[in-house]
Amino acid sequence: MLMMTRRAGQKIILGDDITIEVVEVAGNTVRLGVDAPRAIPVYREEIWTAVRAENEAAASGTELPAAPAAPPDQA
Amino acid sequence: MTQTLKSTRFGDVELADEAVVEFPNGLIGLQGTRYGLIPHGEDGTFVWLHSMEDPDLALPLTKPWSFFPTYEVELSDSEAERIGVSDPGDAEVFVTVRATEEAKNFSANLRAPIIISSGRGFQVINEADDAPVRALLFA
Repeated sequence: MLMMTRRAGQKIILGDDITIEVVEVAGNTVRLGVDAPRAIPVYREEIWTAVRAENEAAASGTELPAAPAAPPDQA
Repeated sequence: MTQTLKSTRFGDVELADEAVVEFPNGLIGLQGTRYGLIPHGEDGTFVWLHSMEDPDLALPLTKPWSFFPTYEVELSDSEAERIGVSDPGDAEVFVTVRATEEAKNFSANLRAPIIISSGRGFQVINEADDAPVRALLFA
């Protein structure tokens, strides 16, 4: 992993169009500002991880209560 | 027009173009950007979100308000801008369902609903306070 030291007000740039700024450092909390093209979603890691786990669980769940309908002719 | 979806669960399914949804960012942590909607059973409670590209990949969805009448979706400005939908009331809102051996343990992910509008779909992060990733459906 790339490690670098930044101070409040300093930034890092990913590629040409994603900027992450250290806005504030207070105790053990760092406030970051992310400036990215709007098509790129930005997630807090723990939420992303929890949602991925739920998506994977949903995709590998048991069958649903009623038997699946016959393939819909024209849904 | 229809498109053929290949499924290990359902075999070949002919889907109307309107039932095929483009997910520009995919689903969080899962592969693929094209999914088809396949109704489950007759009553419309559940629908399968099935990958058009991976015959094994399908997630059951439901509309949250049948189970959680007071459910709310709040999007951050950047999320609303990304998906081009400012009012979820203008779109179709689904939540993923985790099906388990016993129906009483079925749960829905209220934190990351799936919003579909004009043939495009997005899984978004709901900023509302009361939105667990695992809310029991039949509690």
